[in-house]
Amino acid sequence: MMSQLFKKILVANRSEIAVRVMRACKSLGIPTVAVYSEADAHSKHRLIADQSVLIGPPSPRESYLNIEKIISAAKQTGCDALHPGYGFLAENPLLPKACKEAGIVFVGPGAEAMGLLGNKVESRVKMADAGVPLIPGMKGSSTDIAQFEKAAKSTGYPVIIKAAAGGGGKGMRIVRDQSQLADALGAARREALNAFGDDTVYLEKYLSDPRHIEFQVLADQHGHCIHLFERECSIQRRHQKIIEETPSTALNAELRARMGVDAVKVAQAAGYTNAGTVEFLLDKSGTYYFLEMNTRIQVEHPITEMVTGVDLVVEQIKVAAGLPLGDRLKNLSQRGHAIECRMYAEDGENNFMPSIGTIVHYSEPEGPGVRVDSGIMSGMEIGIHYDPIMAKLIVHAPDRTTAITKMTDALEQFKILGVKTSRRFMIEALNHPEFIAGRTYTSFIDDHMSSREAGSDEYQALAAAVASVMAVSPLRASSRSGGLRKTLVTPWDSIGAWQIGDAIGE
Amino acid sequence: VNKYQFTCGSGKLDTTIEKAGQGWRVTIGQSVYEVEALSDGLFALTGGDRRLFVAGVKHKGIYYVDLGRVQLELTEASDAASIGVADEQHRVKDKVFAPMPGRVVKIMVSVGDLVTERQQLVIVEAMKMENPVLAPAAGKVKAIHFAQGDQVDTESPLVELEL
Repeated sequence: MMSQLFKKILVANRSEIAVRVMRACKSLGIPTVAVYSEADAHSKHRLIADQSVLIGPPSPRESYLNIEKIISAAKQTGCDALHPGYGFLAENPLLPKACKEAGIVFVGPGAEAMGLLGNKVESRVKMADAGVPLIPGMKGSSTDIAQFEKAAKSTGYPVIIKAAAGGGGKGMRIVRDQSQLADALGAARREALNAFGDDTVYLEKYLSDPRHIEFQVLADQHGHCIHLFERECSIQRRHQKIIEETPSTALNAELRARMGVDAVKVAQAAGYTNAGTVEFLLDKSGTYYFLEMNTRIQVEHPITEMVTGVDLVVEQIKVAAGLPLGDRLKNLSQRGHAIECRMYAEDGENNFMPSIGTIVHYSEPEGPGVRVDSGIMSGMEIGIHYDPIMAKLIVHAPDRTTAITKMTDALEQFKILGVKTSRRFMIEALNHPEFIAGRTYTSFIDDHMSSREAGSDEYQALAAAVASVMAVSPLRASSRSGGLRKTLVTPWDSIGAWQIGDAIGE
Repeated sequence: VNKYQFTCGSGKLDTTIEKAGQGWRVTIGQSVYEVEALSDGLFALTGGDRRLFVAGVKHKGIYYVDLGRVQLELTEASDAASIGVADEQHRVKDKVFAPMPGRVVKIMVSVGDLVTERQQLVIVEAMKMENPVLAPAAGKVKAIHFAQGDQVDTESPLVELEL
């Protein structure tokens, strides 16, 4: 039995990723501390943790983005390590810096590597020197629109404007001709300032119809760095991934090996430690370009876990504790096929418009090779303050065809009522002949999913049949689903009904 | 035997329901469905040779039903009168509402402008994304009730159109 790696870990995040990280901590026997805002008093991540600390009002700036409050919560509860999750402060170098000053281990890369890779402009320069292939574009940034016009002319339209501090599709705009450039620049700057507190943007050539292929890497503090193969994340709406899979149908062993070597090269050139993701764009000719390195655990990390059998969050914690990668990570292989679908609170039938409301019913799918990473429960409010991700559904099967069928069934089983989701959209995308054929490009949604059939009358009749039962017998139909919690949910709720001494004689 | 009328989008459905064994038999037009209520808001629905697991919850007068592939929201005729006023307002095409509470980051039209159906009128930021608010129909901009930077809710109109 290994001695406990840390005394206690604070998870500086919310929702599904906070829950996921806490599960890893529990599997290692490490107690956890949650932080939460006033909007999250009834949230799942708060209840899963052994202890929780209220860190402020709903606004992220006053809670989940407030380094001072988070560090003080860690100190107050006696934590010796902190996991940032993804989003919020996960890629802000000030957090590892503040942890270091407070004598708390940051579960992630060092501030310096994070700072370098977080700045897309600086990291482009560094990776060019390391011999990693790059997308043609601006060398640096500028505030002068003339510089953008010049760069766009030299690479040729279409171009893409990106936030230097960017990620997740925020502060990103595609520009098809010069007349759109000024508006797009303004919108990208506004969004970047809002999301990252930095309105620096730059421009590169927009590759048409590439695939988004990323490599999971893991580096310890002793100079070892490995990759854990690829994830293909080409199915995106608003530049945000919604369906991911591994292996990619576009890679053969030779291309996979070359990209893997370059992924490790990127991590090493940056002096990277812990888990990270090197993103590439792959064009139809099989040429690939370095896009960026994400210095955090990714939303889609579970598909890598399913095919490699490695718990990446556990490895993050081990690496942070100073353990070498060691034998357990040698000779990894990709077994079977894994797909992830993201359940966002958004309307898949109406331009993916965010959807808010109360979760009036929540039931998860089940079956072999079906995994749900969820941050929500029945009765919870989905508000406007945070990213609309509610849960992730992951399936693992021996081959891609079976994985698609299994995912379709699992999505149909996954019932979230009260807010809109993109479930139907994802089912149709997965079962589209082009997806089944493996022709997945970042333009997939625009090319194949823009005209879809409306729901048939048959569905309306089926729904009305069930609604009739609810109407005729409201008590029977909803007596046990009426669990909409009006009052504060406490950990005791999950224990269920019990009475001391009542079990005698049963 | 009970009878109901449900509204689902633009469709109206008349149903007849009676007890049948463990559950209920529902007749809609020519179709007959068997429904059993399970626990936790789940139902087993049999129609012809197909069985579906369905989730259904009534919340604030709306029947939320999940059929696996699609989710639908229905209202029942005798409940319809009590459904929130905000919902009714959204159906009036000359008043344009924000789809969710948020902050106005950009106003793309001025009073007097002629707009086409689905033209972007305003951008509202919520959940860290910029969400365009589109014209529900072609018309002339009669009034704009908010300025850039204002917080908006879903109850008061953002823009009024003359159709």
